[in-house]
Amino acid sequence: QAIDDDCNQTGQLLAAMLDWPQGTFASRVQLEDGGAVRVEREVDGGLETLRLRLPAVLTADLRLNEPRYATLPNIMKAKKKPLEVIPASDLGVSGGSPRLKVLQVQEPPARAGGEKVENVAALVEKLRHSGRI
Amino acid sequence: AGRAVPRAGLPLGRRGIASCLDPSTGLTEDQKEFQNVALDFAAKEMAPYMAEWDEKEIFPVETMRKAAQLGFGGIYVKPDVGGSGLSRLDTSIIFEALSTGCASTTAYMSIHNMCVWMIDTFGNEEQRRRFCPSLCSMEKFASYCLTEPGSGSDAASLLTSAQRKGDTYVLNGSKAFISGGGDTDVYVVMCRTGGPGPKGISCLVLEKGMPGLSFGKKEKKVGWNSQPTRAVIFEDCVVPVGNRLGAEGQGFSIAMQGLNGGRINIASCSLGAAHASVLLAQEHLTVRKQFGEPLANNQYLQFRLAEMATRLVAARLMVRNAARALQDGREDAAVLCSMAKLFATDECFGICNQALQMHGGYGYLKDYAVQQFVRDVRVHQILEGTNEVMRMIVARNLLQG
Repeated sequence: QAIDDDCNQTGQLLAAMLDWPQGTFASRVQLEDGGAVRVEREVDGGLETLRLRLPAVLTADLRLNEPRYATLPNIMKAKKKPLEVIPASDLGVSGGSPRLKVLQVQEPPARAGGEKVENVAALVEKLRHSGRI
Repeated sequence: AGRAVPRAGLPLGRRGIASCLDPSTGLTEDQKEFQNVALDFAAKEMAPYMAEWDEKEIFPVETMRKAAQLGFGGIYVKPDVGGSGLSRLDTSIIFEALSTGCASTTAYMSIHNMCVWMIDTFGNEEQRRRFCPSLCSMEKFASYCLTEPGSGSDAASLLTSAQRKGDTYVLNGSKAFISGGGDTDVYVVMCRTGGPGPKGISCLVLEKGMPGLSFGKKEKKVGWNSQPTRAVIFEDCVVPVGNRLGAEGQGFSIAMQGLNGGRINIASCSLGAAHASVLLAQEHLTVRKQFGEPLANNQYLQFRLAEMATRLVAARLMVRNAARALQDGREDAAVLCSMAKLFATDECFGICNQALQMHGGYGYLKDYAVQQFVRDVRVHQILEGTNEVMRMIVARNLLQG
């Protein structure tokens, strides 16, 4: 899931556009002989293992790897690294303007207090009344 | 009988610490990055092992080499010989952070760093290139040899003699309480080439394997057990003149300049241990219940914790102030380093000790980390210049004509 909008779609969209197989939420990746990759995925029910023919699109779950420590010299060099800005047109990509527009971002409403009822009958009545059942 | 406190120096990923104790306040973005790397390394690579290193007296060579790969082997050594070229303040921040994982191992790393800096600063080009790269990577380890059985605080009265014979020096004598002694590869040795007193002392770099260089038994200590301590013995030990750092008679000055930084580093190790101890105490107070309430509801303990935190922040400021003075080359740097070492090591031992007290009986068990911090920082009040000698230095500064 993307770190900005959490939409969980970029990898999947890319795979569909390229018509390549996809292995998302990868927690283990093993390249195999013959141009294939074995991907273990974190899914709601547990782990799913797929074999995909390459080329393929993979997205990483946090269990895939342990990040390296940054070294002191690299931390110091980071500030001096050049930041090259390439306009999309230079890469021959058209229609590069975002197709997603953020209309609003808001916090969830504050939790209102619950209500105590006398008995089960009253509970059922209230739930029916508010349209919950 | 109360939940066992997590067995670690600094709880992993504990960024949501009380803001009054936050060690990253006032730091630059870069310094915060260094601190984060060091805190992560301490939490993952050191804290889970500090008890085992202490109990089994393991010198954690591989862990220190991992630290060196990140640049912690020669933090304030120049980059052209493999160092990280950082400032004294950066160094203090890093050692303080590493010490939360294991104060003893970090203290040894600071001694190693001090030795590499001495060679880097006072060595000629050939010596710098010969020794520094492998020390910065911790392929080789170093020891600082000043103290002798007969000369501790009165360091300038040292007796180890180095007689000039042609293009060699022949050393006779012994050094005591040498951290890393016997396991390390490079020995920075202060010895007498001239007359009595400081002006007769020179600094020689020796290597393990030189004929006439041997070691005493491994000492059994109350703390600092993740570093071996041995006597270093010279019996007609032949050392090439090309291993002398600086000029004849410059050795004492080199030793003392090394110690200025060393004192900040040791004080920084005390800071880290004290910080970890305060967090452990804070956790214990919220978990442990007596008289029907968490200990944290007890005003006496609240006040005690507040005092501990206040003294920790004061000590930290002293140390960082001294680090700045040293890196800026200010005239008062040496005396500020002495003040900082005196204040921080005394206060931080008190803080660790108080944290142990707050744990009650559990604090006395080796299952709990706080006792190791107490044992490890106790010696910081003694080495690199006793806190009594620190007072001598400050008094001299105040009363000199």
